Amino acid sequence: MSDGMNRRRFLTVLGATGGGAALLGACGVGEEQAQKLIPYLTQPEDQVPGIATWYATTCRECPSGCGVRAKVREGRVIKLEGNPDAQVGRGHLCARGQAALEGVYNPDRVTDPLARNAQGQFEKISWTDALARFGANLKGANGHLAILTGQESGSFGDLVDELAKSLGGRHVVYEPFAFEALREGNRLAFGTTAVPSYDFARASYILSFGADFLDTWLSPVDHQTAFARAHGFAAGNPAMAKLVFVGPRMSLTGMNADEWLAPVPGTEGRLALAVASVIVRDRLASAQPDVGRLSGLLGRHTPDAVAAVCGIDAKTIERVARELAAGDGLVVAGGMAAHYPNGAEIVAAVNVLNYVTGAVGKTVQFGPNQNVEAGTFGQMAELVADMAGGRISVLVVTGTNPGHSLGGAFWQAWAKVGTKVVISPYLDETASAADLVLPELHPLEQWNDSRPRAGVWALQQPVMQPVYATARAAGDVLLAAAGKPGSFKDYLQTSWHAVHGRLGHGTSFDDFWNDALAKGGVASAASVEKVRLAAGVERILAGPPDAPALDGGAHDPVLIAFPSPTLYDGRGANKPWLQELPDPVSKIMWHSWVEVHPDTATSWGVTDGDLVVLQSPFGAVSAPVWMTPAIRPGVLAVPTGQGHTAFGRYAKDRSFNAFDLLGGAANGYAGRTFTVRVSVKTTGDHRFLATNVGDPRELGGGEEIVRSLTYAKAKALKPGDRPFRAREYPVYADSAEAGWAVAQRTEAARGNYAGHQPRWAMAIDLARCTGCSACVTACYAENNLPTVGEDLVLRRRQISWMRIERYWREDDHGLQAVVTPMLCQQCEQAPCEPVCPVFAAYHTPDGLNGQVYNRCVGTRYCANNCAYKVRYFNWFNFAERGGEWEAWPAPLDWQLNPDVTVREKGVMEKCTFCVQRIRGAQNQARLEDRTVQDGEITPACAQSCPSEAIVFGDLHDPASRVAQVSADPRGYHVFEELNTRPGITYLARVVHAEEA
Amino acid sequence: MTHGSTRVAAGIALLVCVAVPLAAQGGQPTPAVTAPVISDTGSLKGPRQPIFFRHDVHAGQSHIPCLYCHYSATVSSEPGIPSLQTCGGCHFIVGGSTPTHQAEIKKVRELTSSNHAPEWVRIHTLPAFVHFPHMRHIKALGTESCNRCHGEVREMPQVYQVAPLTMGWCINCHLQRQVTRDCVVCHY
Amino acid sequence: MTTHTTTRAQTPTHHTLSYDDVTRTIARTLGSPGRGYYVLLACAVTMLGIGVICLLYLFRYGLGLAGYSMPTYWAVYITCFVFWVGIAHSGTLISAILFLFRSGWRTAVYRVAEIMTVFAVMTAGLFPLIHIGRQWFFYWLVPYPNERGLWPNFKSPLVWDEFAIGTYFTVSTCFLIMGLIPDIAAIRDVATGWRKKLYTLTALGWRGTNEQWRHYRPAYLYLAALATPLVLSVHSVVSWDFAMSQVPAWHETLFAPYFVAGAIYSGCAMVITLLIPLRAFFQLEELVTLHHFENLAKLILLTGMIVCYAYVTEYFFAWYGGPTPEREAFWYRAFGRFWWAGWTMNVCNAFLPWLLWSKRIRTNLVALFVISIFVNLGMWMERFVIIAVHLAGEPFESYVRAGYNATWADWGIMLGSFGWFFMWFLLFVKNFPAVSVAEVKEELPPPEHAGRHR
Repeated sequence: MSDGMNRRRFLTVLGATGGGAALLGACGVGEEQAQKLIPYLTQPEDQVPGIATWYATTCRECPSGCGVRAKVREGRVIKLEGNPDAQVGRGHLCARGQAALEGVYNPDRVTDPLARNAQGQFEKISWTDALARFGANLKGANGHLAILTGQESGSFGDLVDELAKSLGGRHVVYEPFAFEALREGNRLAFGTTAVPSYDFARASYILSFGADFLDTWLSPVDHQTAFARAHGFAAGNPAMAKLVFVGPRMSLTGMNADEWLAPVPGTEGRLALAVASVIVRDRLASAQPDVGRLSGLLGRHTPDAVAAVCGIDAKTIERVARELAAGDGLVVAGGMAAHYPNGAEIVAAVNVLNYVTGAVGKTVQFGPNQNVEAGTFGQMAELVADMAGGRISVLVVTGTNPGHSLGGAFWQAWAKVGTKVVISPYLDETASAADLVLPELHPLEQWNDSRPRAGVWALQQPVMQPVYATARAAGDVLLAAAGKPGSFKDYLQTSWHAVHGRLGHGTSFDDFWNDALAKGGVASAASVEKVRLAAGVERILAGPPDAPALDGGAHDPVLIAFPSPTLYDGRGANKPWLQELPDPVSKIMWHSWVEVHPDTATSWGVTDGDLVVLQSPFGAVSAPVWMTPAIRPGVLAVPTGQGHTAFGRYAKDRSFNAFDLLGGAANGYAGRTFTVRVSVKTTGDHRFLATNVGDPRELGGGEEIVRSLTYAKAKALKPGDRPFRAREYPVYADSAEAGWAVAQRTEAARGNYAGHQPRWAMAIDLARCTGCSACVTACYAENNLPTVGEDLVLRRRQISWMRIERYWREDDHGLQAVVTPMLCQQCEQAPCEPVCPVFAAYHTPDGLNGQVYNRCVGTRYCANNCAYKVRYFNWFNFAERGGEWEAWPAPLDWQLNPDVTVREKGVMEKCTFCVQRIRGAQNQARLEDRTVQDGEITPACAQSCPSEAIVFGDLHDPASRVAQVSADPRGYHVFEELNTRPGITYLARVVHAEEA
Repeated sequence: MTHGSTRVAAGIALLVCVAVPLAAQGGQPTPAVTAPVISDTGSLKGPRQPIFFRHDVHAGQSHIPCLYCHYSATVSSEPGIPSLQTCGGCHFIVGGSTPTHQAEIKKVRELTSSNHAPEWVRIHTLPAFVHFPHMRHIKALGTESCNRCHGEVREMPQVYQVAPLTMGWCINCHLQRQVTRDCVVCHY
Repeated sequence: MTTHTTTRAQTPTHHTLSYDDVTRTIARTLGSPGRGYYVLLACAVTMLGIGVICLLYLFRYGLGLAGYSMPTYWAVYITCFVFWVGIAHSGTLISAILFLFRSGWRTAVYRVAEIMTVFAVMTAGLFPLIHIGRQWFFYWLVPYPNERGLWPNFKSPLVWDEFAIGTYFTVSTCFLIMGLIPDIAAIRDVATGWRKKLYTLTALGWRGTNEQWRHYRPAYLYLAALATPLVLSVHSVVSWDFAMSQVPAWHETLFAPYFVAGAIYSGCAMVITLLIPLRAFFQLEELVTLHHFENLAKLILLTGMIVCYAYVTEYFFAWYGGPTPEREAFWYRAFGRFWWAGWTMNVCNAFLPWLLWSKRIRTNLVALFVISIFVNLGMWMERFVIIAVHLAGEPFESYVRAGYNATWADWGIMLGSFGWFFMWFLLFVKNFPAVSVAEVKEELPPPEHAGRHR
């Protein structure tokens, strides 16, 4: 049992630091102390107690592979942040990336090799034993071997390939959400299966056919940064891109669209062709080579003809065509549009559209291709067939969990396989059904690399000692079992010698390697390649991609299964941060749901939370209804990710598994079909939706909170305009206000408040904020926020200092979703301060609303008096060891930030602009006899924000960025009429709506 | 004669230390202390440590600056506990004169060879909700100011807590020196 | 109406009684208790026990056991606090203010009202401590010199509150004891056994000499004068716990008078609720006559009208103020998720008292008893609506509006508070005169031949 050992290392680590002691104390809460001080045996050069060390590595929470920097304190990684040097991510990180920490410290990790004994139970065995068995299996397989991995675009993938080859087996890559349609569609249109990179930053008009490029599609973080640059409004570049989202369901990306078109599912291709036909017909774009070949065929897809099919009226189609051709257009297809049986044709049609607008080569760049080429669902289906046919005697699975995303057919085949070996850090569905389970290190603990995009080599290094010394790197295990010499790190370095050869520029390999380690990887510009229309492209236009035939009753409603922005394909399900992160669209936590249009719901006589049974030809699930205007009437949508039967305490037996509704057979383009027709049976049952949205009857459109400007108005604004700034107090109060101001000045000349003080402030640009919620999880990670669990969420006791509010509005472009981050406004005249009887809430000299946790007695008056409702109460002791509400079961508590107190039960807590970071910077500045520089302090939320919507700094310094941004004419304060003088200035969102 | 040999030992120790740049932070010379011979360790103040490490011998008699071992106090909020490596740095050579000394030094060597860290008993602790940045205090008060809070460790055969480390005690000093008393400077 | 009631009602003085009867009647109440008494006491203690158990759970696991949910950060406990403070008020009104106004009829009822005051304040005082998150640090709200140089925030209404309650408790207790002394002395002279000792001790050597009386009267007068302003001030301060905030439907200048009226209103109702059974129980019909109840009913009617007026004003200004959070808040009170609470309070407090315009109802004990119960309910509900409902429907941040469901922890502790109150009340009425002997006698015509002055 390695627990004692961990405990010991934990203390060892602690011993070196009072901060650590504070941490341990904090876990017990109150004044418990670490009674032992255990020094390092050998002091690591790069570790100074109390000072964080940063290591560059690569995020492996989804295939896009963003570069991250890991913050390590006393040998424990406590925070992940985007790596500015990285080619992918560019210094930002999404919620799933932030939550990687809960993967490495997950309380449900496998600690020792497990083997099935005679009774069919797992029993712990030694590594030597385990490796011996595994080695024997590999040899015994003689050819009937398959190694199943997730998307591995780096050396590990190569290693598996080689091993599989040398052992006569095969390497199959399985990602539940792969990009087969994209590759096939490109082949149909351009004759290449490469997936280009899309330049959102450059586009002035983005038309997305179902591609959720902001949440789950290809490289979301990159896309968000780029999209914010194009779509965000800046006085500097008045050209503000417009996003039109086409899809029967409004996803996170759809919520950020200026216009949402909900066609009949599967007819997106026709729509694309119709748009193309208009462009060609009216010569809206400069003619591309061999467009002549198309014009005739495109003629068939007249707007009127298509309007009838897809349910979007011809006028809209014409308008979209004109708008698209007007500037640098970019059309992308993916997500749900690429998950129909005719997904490839739809993508091809979209490619044609891109081609006729001349986007190809401009905003669509072949050359710096996205590396998502490995593996198709077809190959997986083949493998399953072979397994079922008994042609596989040994199956090795690592880095993927087919047991969750593949249904009954897979399990039948699984039973036919002689030996199943799973190398995994967790006992997920697949692992718990295996014969031999080998505990793998978490990506943050092991070496690897990845090539997310052509010309990008990203390195992944262990940032800390393994949490469980008994776990091993998958590469090492495979090498050892296959009897190959050396460790996987050696293998990695060997393969990097090749990279060095290409990009070394004469430096020694060690310098090159160390430099790459420091930066997180190396990159070289990949040249853009020209592509022409493929020969067979006419076929697409001739046989128009019409509404596809779906499995299930012809008259049943269409159901779309989409990847959850928080849990993705389910790999995030055992991380409480992600479980408690409200879905950006539905705002539901801890369970799954089915999206139903209110009209449809009323026709069934169901409402929010009513359980309905969805029956597809492949399975049935019982799902609670979430009524939303953000879906086409008659269409249903369910997120994947929940409904695990194993995987750990947070994931197991939660809600339903959307994959159960889907078929296991590959479709025409060797992909998986994520749409199916389901029959709906209403049950009498009901469950409350665990959400943080207020009572819908009273919710409204949040007009008081989120202000909007039309594009024209925003452009017309001159510096000094204050369209939203109302008088903060009535005329008759002028004298009182003046007197008050004098009193404040005299107050401010006393004691702590004397002299020049900064005024920490924040500016949030709602024209950039997409509601992706990366900031929320970043805040959880930085500030030791407890996750309270579904029951307490249902009782509105979530502790989330930063919450993303989502409101629905109707405007002349139809349904609009508006989002805003709501956090403590750090009011200058804060209502919370005067009412606190013990000065636990008080005003700090540097303009924060201080909250002294150890002084708070918990009268909660401050929370009553806070109009923004951003104060959160510790209803229970969330840090109590083994307590009913324990939020950090060991070793999750290793992640706690030693610079932040873990709050005791019965105290109020709230955002303080990451005051620990402020103090840290001030201490550093003091040591260097200088003042804090602008931009030196970045709160966790601002750091993480992929769309760079949050600016933080000192408002008293006129040169600071925050001062300048806050002066923007779009700026306003929420509830300005309360005269609370918030430190947070929101910049109104700008909408592409015609003037009323 | 015991004294003599102890001095020799200490002298060598000091040589080794001086070789280490950190030791340059010695500051103004401190009064020469001669560590007494302790016959009855039971009568000493403070908790009994796994190794009878004598601050009075090291810091007092041998003038090893505090910051030689507690090396991160000037740069970090945490002063740091010396690793066994640090001990070995001197005691690789210095074997100790008296049997008692030798016995204690032997412990150090054994622990090092057996890869076991001694579990020192913690003496100075603050509650979890207090953040005390050592570096700022040393920056303000100088590298020789440790004794203001930790007492004359140079004269302690066995270290014990001198200051109460209560909030009132902190506040008093902050009052006298007219520095901030803002709550969120320490509590966050 | 029957002649019987009229004669009783119109003649305040007890011409049928002699000093001796009075003493005997009251002494009788202190006789050895019957089974009924013990049953009642047992009920009270059980209720208290339940409350204590809930409380222990609350301390161990945290306030999460109660029904709170963001944004409803205050609910049943604070409701009970205001409710009990309110109950307390009529006591001082009847004993002190009516004393200053020399209204003779008070003598028979003021003792009950007074003990009610003291025990109600004792009960109320517990709730602020129960409801805070870290009860073991409650003393941080009290100003005391400490090495940290920390003081409570005197700007905070909660601190004013603790002073108000403290003062009120002290003064009303002194006042009660002051009034008791001559009576205890009287009882002492007839009592036997351990009670004799008890009374001898508590009578503080009262002999009823002229000199003692000469000092006693002014002292009592001054205390009454001292207590009088508290009737107005204490509940005004309590109301500022809410009025000083910026929560819509809390932030109202009307609150102080509104709360004071409500307090006396509920207090008188409670007096009636307690007095009617007590009177039957101890056969005090001779002393506590319909006339007293009618006067109490008139007080209820008066204060009820004020409360009614306050409600109307609130709604009027919410409407008149235009489309503001205020208007939303009152819409929520009437038609929101908790409409039933809002209407219970309106019916019980604003409509029911109108019945008391009829003399027949004023002089019908059954009717009065029922009405008083409803008034108590209504007043509890009023505080619940103001506190819990208006927090749940807080109209600024519409995003976090949520429901509120009280739990066993809320009800248990509330039950406990009633147990606590009635336990003390029962213990008192059996051991000390529940009706003032001395002052009742003052209302009697002097006997033909003085001398047997007990």
